[in-house]
Parts: sequence; C-alpha cells; structure tokens
Amino acid sequence: MLEEKILEFARLLRKGGVNVSVTQVTAAIQAAAAVGLAQEDFYTALLSTLIVDQIDQPLFDKLFRLYFFSLERGVLQKHINHNQHETDEASAVLPLVDSIEGTGTGRGAGASPYLLLVKAVRETNYPLLRRLGEMGIESLGDLEQGAINEIDKLIDQAKVAIGWYQAVNTLEKIRVQEKVSEIRYSKWLECLSYLEKYMESLLEEVLVKKFGYDAIEEIALAANIREKEFYRLDQLEIQEIRKHITKMARKLASRYSRRYRRAKHGKIDLRRTIKNAMINNGTPIRLKYRKRVISKPELILLCDVSGSVAVFSEFMLQLVYTIQNRFSHIRSFLFVNTVDEVTEFFTNNSIEEALEKAFAKARYAMSPFSDYGRVFRLFEKQYLPTFSPQSTLIILGDARNNYRHDERDSLQRIGEQVRRILWFNPQPGDQWNTEDSIIGIYAPYCRQVFECRNLKQLKEVTEAIL
Amino acid sequence: MFQSREELERKLAEHHYLIDRNVATVVYLAVKLQKPLLVEGPAGVGKTELAKALAAVTNSRLIRLQCYEGLDEAKALYEWNYQKQLLCLHLKQNQSKSWHEAKDDIFTREFLLRRPLLDALESTEPVVLLIDEVDKSDEEFESFLLEILSDYQITIPELGTIKAKSVPITVLTSNNFRDFGDALKRRCVHLYLDYPTFERELEIIKLKVPGIDQLLSQQLVSFVQLLRKQDIKKPPSIAETIDWARSLLTLCVSRIDADIVQSTLSILLKYQSDIDKILPRVSSLLPED
Repeated sequence: MLEEKILEFARLLRKGGVNVSVTQVTAAIQAAAAVGLAQEDFYTALLSTLIVDQIDQPLFDKLFRLYFFSLERGVLQKHINHNQHETDEASAVLPLVDSIEGTGTGRGAGASPYLLLVKAVRETNYPLLRRLGEMGIESLGDLEQGAINEIDKLIDQAKVAIGWYQAVNTLEKIRVQEKVSEIRYSKWLECLSYLEKYMESLLEEVLVKKFGYDAIEEIALAANIREKEFYRLDQLEIQEIRKHITKMARKLASRYSRRYRRAKHGKIDLRRTIKNAMINNGTPIRLKYRKRVISKPELILLCDVSGSVAVFSEFMLQLVYTIQNRFSHIRSFLFVNTVDEVTEFFTNNSIEEALEKAFAKARYAMSPFSDYGRVFRLFEKQYLPTFSPQSTLIILGDARNNYRHDERDSLQRIGEQVRRILWFNPQPGDQWNTEDSIIGIYAPYCRQVFECRNLKQLKEVTEAIL
Repeated sequence: MFQSREELERKLAEHHYLIDRNVATVVYLAVKLQKPLLVEGPAGVGKTELAKALAAVTNSRLIRLQCYEGLDEAKALYEWNYQKQLLCLHLKQNQSKSWHEAKDDIFTREFLLRRPLLDALESTEPVVLLIDEVDKSDEEFESFLLEILSDYQITIPELGTIKAKSVPITVLTSNNFRDFGDALKRRCVHLYLDYPTFERELEIIKLKVPGIDQLLSQQLVSFVQLLRKQDIKKPPSIAETIDWARSLLTLCVSRIDADIVQSTLSILLKYQSDIDKILPRVSSLLPED
C-alpha cells in the first residue's frame, strides 16, 4: 500500500520535471520503512532519497503536501498531531475579522479588510495573516475544473479581495513616516511573502480536495519549468531559471576544460619524452605528448529582444557570459528594428548589472516591432567588416518579421563572411512559417536552426554546440 | 549500530555536535540503509564536523580523503611501491627465477601502498570514511567512486577483488563548487545542511564559548542571522559566529552597539566588498531591544 503511494508520488515528481530513478524509489521505500510514518520523519526519508538537487526541493515540498495531506488524508492522518494551539489562537481573532467585515456591505471594496492586513503585518501576527488568507480564498467562491490552470490569476483576485495592494501601499507610507528599521521592515516583507505562499497552498489544497489526483498532476505539470515555454514564465520562474542556467554554465565550463586537459594526443613532445626515458635507462617506455592548443572561437550573439523573445535572449546572454573564458572573444548585439552593440557593458560589470544596463542604454528599438530585414542590412553595413572569418554567429529570435522585407541577400553575405551561422528559435516548431514567421526563408543561410523554447531544449542545444 | 534516531541524536549531542531532528533522521537512514551520506550546503555549516562527530560517537577511526582537481586512483586507492619493487628485483637478480615467479614476488601485498579508500575497505576495525569536497575532484574520479560506493568493493588486477570487511559509514561533502554527476548523487542519501536556526545557533554558541553573557549571545546571534539574509558574497558561517563571540568575550564587551560591530566586522565578513556594503548599514541592522 505504502509502496504504491511512494511509486505514485515518484511519478508525480517526474511529471514535475524531477528525474527520479528506480534505485531512488527503492531507497525511498526502504527509508520509509526504517523511520516509520511519523510525519516529519517520513518527509525527511523521502526528501533525502528522492531529491538529488536542492533546486527541486520547493516542488517536492509542494507535491508532498498536496499528495500526502490534501489528497490522502487517510495515509498519515492518525500520525499527524494537528497543531491545536495555533488553531485556538486563530479563532481568537475571528470575531475581530468578522466585526470589521460586518461594517461594510458584503465583500466589496468598502469592506476591504486591508487595515486588518496592515495591522497583522505590523504586529507580525501570523494567525491573523492565515485567517486573512483563508478569507481571500473563500472569496473566490465555487471553483471550476479550469481553475487549475489559472492559479496565478485566482491568487491575484484573492489578494484584491483582502486589500493586498492597498495594504502594501500603506505599509510603504508607514515605513517612511515612522522611519521603520530595516530589521522590522524585513520582518514585514517576510509576513507578506508568507501570506502569499499560504494563499497559494490553500488554493491548491482546495483544488486538490475538489478534483483529486488530476489536480495534483496538473499542478505538477504546470510547475515543470524545465519544459515550460520561455514566453510563459512569470517573474518568479525567471529567477528560478537563472539559477538553473548558472548551474548549467558551470557544468559546461568545467567539462570542457577537463576534456582538453586529459586528451593530450597529437604531436609527440620529444624533449619531455627523452627526459622521461632517463628513469628507465634511456628506454622511452611512455611517450609524452604536446599540449593541445585549444582553439577558442570568437562568438557573436545577435539577440532579438522584442516582446516575448527578450526573456530567452537574456538567458542566452547570461549563459554565454558565464562561460566566457571558453571563447577568445564574445561580441553581443541587441536588436528589435535597429541594432546596437552591447559588448562593452559586459566587460566590467557583473552579469546582472550588465544585462540591466544593456537593456536600458542600448539603442535597439525605434518601434516595438521587430524587423529582421532592416536589422540584417544595418548589421552587415556597420559591423560585418570587423568580424573574423573564424567567428560563429548565433542569432536568437523567432524570425517573425511583421511582414516586412526579408533582405535575405544581406544574411547570405553575412553567412559568407563568418564561419557559420546558428539560429536558436524560441518559438514552438509547429508555429514556424505561419503568420509572419519567415524562418524558412532564412534557414538555408544558416548552418543549423534549433528549436529552443524551454530550458530542457536550451540545455540540449548548448551541450551539443558549445 | 544505533537502535533509533533518538539514540543517534543524543550521542552526537554528548560529543558537542547538535543537530536537528530531520538531520538526525537522514544520518540515521544512511547508517541503517548502508548508503553513503552526501552532505551539501554552504561553507562552514559543519559538514566535515559531522563526519568527525560520527567517528567519535561510533568509536571508529576517521579516514579522510580530501579531493582536489587531479586526484586519481593512485592517490586515492592504491599504488604499487615502485622503488621497493625495483630494490627487490635488484636483490634477486642473481637467483635467475622465471618471469612468473618474479611477478608473484613483487606483486604482493607487501608492495602495495594503501591509500585512504583501500584502507577503509580493508580495515578490520570500524571506520568512518570521509570523502571531503567531492565536487572539487574530476569527472573520471567520480565515476570511479561509483564502483566503490555502490558495492563497497574494488578490483586490483594482480590481487583480485577486495571486498569490504564491514561496510564503512561513508560521508561525502560538497560545496556545490561544481555540479557533479547525477549517477553518484543517486547512490547516496542526501542531506542539505543549512545555517542553523536562531535557537540552534544560540545553543552552539553557549556550548562552544562558555562564559558568554546570555544577552550578548542573543544579540550577536540575531545580528549574524540577519546578516546572512543580506545580499552578500560570503555570509558568515557558524565558525565565524563562534570566532566573533570569542573576540567579543576577549574584548570584555557586554552589549553590542554600532561602534563595536563596525570595528569587529572583519571577523564576520571576509570580502572587502561585503564589508563596504554592510558597514554604513550596521546601525539599522542591529537588533532592537
């Protein structure tokens, strides 16, 4: 019984993008048997065996909570010692909540309990925060099946219902007026993010109780950022992906250096061979090889930063500059309908700063619509003569040209000047060459065109290319 | 070895190593399931200490293998004592033995130099094997560890397979310097050691810096805890908190204030850029009464 539960849970994790092997599941089952079912120990047993990467822990926590508590109350129920004390505290503030609510007319803006939220945050009163969170979720009313895919939107509605934004505003004002110390302000922020998370988990719980296993599966799938398309990421997920990319880059960088350090084959280093032969009375038993000189290619990045593609370009720039020691030189260009070089921003700044400055200062857009043809023409005229024939040009973009001239001749001439052109396209493959996408026209001039719409693909492509 | 998690927790505490319940559970699991324990976490949270404490608790010898770039089998596992073999051959030169006899003579255990891993496998007494900073080693070495850690045996071509007499408690530590392979990770039981909570750190300070004033220790721990939440390169570790507590004690400070903190900040923060960042904000980071 328990074994099945653990197996099914492992399946959920895989849906969420976590790689779980059979050995790990076996270990998890053994571990659970060894420590028993007491809630905390059971959790630790599964965590320590199923999760190999710290990055995946938040997802694990979420799915664990939903699967073993919300869905399967029966499994662990009798071992859970419900925190009686806390519930009492919360019920003590209930009358207060109700009285404030009662002064308005229903749950409209007039009765918004935002003052209560301000109070709760200032006093760091967690039971009251939880109660407010519950009110927010209750205000959503009856939820439909489709709600599973709209969690972010629903959370926002719940926030509005409890006057979140007003409260945040008020708190900011208080902070300035009363000169609140940093230590207290950081506690306030903690309160707010706690409430946000609490509401999210509450909503998920409601959904799981209502729609059962399907809902968890949906939540797991939605949480799989490795396969989520770049343009659908929200701010928090972008942060998350940044972490992944830093990690990926470190892996790429170290693998490369090791491979070349080890594989010293090629020309024989006669001097060292003879010197070494002295040990064996002059017999050269082991040959010594010359170190291979690593060719460091010059890399040119031409990044579309219009609308939905911008996020992807940012990721790619971050990745490339993290491993910049692998290239003799990297030059980067941003474009929308005009193109500007941003290489200099990356020389003395941290990558985050550089990105920020590059996006703020470079002149890459005179209108929000990308114009590949114009950009290629300008790019050829202004920059092409400065590129070496050894360089690799990587174009990042969806090739959606807004029905303008394609200027394919320009791209052809660029292709003749550099060693190769690679195109990374963040648009899903089945949408290529539909509407205003003209990737098909440009493709013949590129060595290869890759679909690169999520983290998983980005990883595959960079591992193959770089 | 341990009957329960509680026993492990208690025994470690007796040896002045305080751990949380979930940490104890993971360590207990690793011992019980006879799997290697992989400890990850920021520098200075006591990863290596954990292995040392485990050795002390179980009355075992601690065998430590420090990993670094370029570490290979010869330095980690075994090596033939080349000079000694040469010497032996030299002495026996006149006995005109056949090749086989000569080979059997010089490839025996006498000429084997035991390195930490072989040492741990062959040991008759209980041992704790600590493989420190695995992430600093090379990928090849990692895959080589894989064999040892999954079967607890190794093969030496001239001598045959050597199997562990008893499975040693194995602790691997990693600073996440490099993201090492999943295959190795999957063989292990995982433990993420994070900075301790306020209460836990307070206990540690009391234990390691006896004679410190209650109020002072509370103040300094809450300051350090807050410091760790700031956006800095190298947040202070437990060791640094202890150092700071000791220096404050030596300076006969009874309460911390902005001046004291500013003049001793370099004990907590090791990067000049971090110090520059925090220095002007010290007074607003100090705990209120």
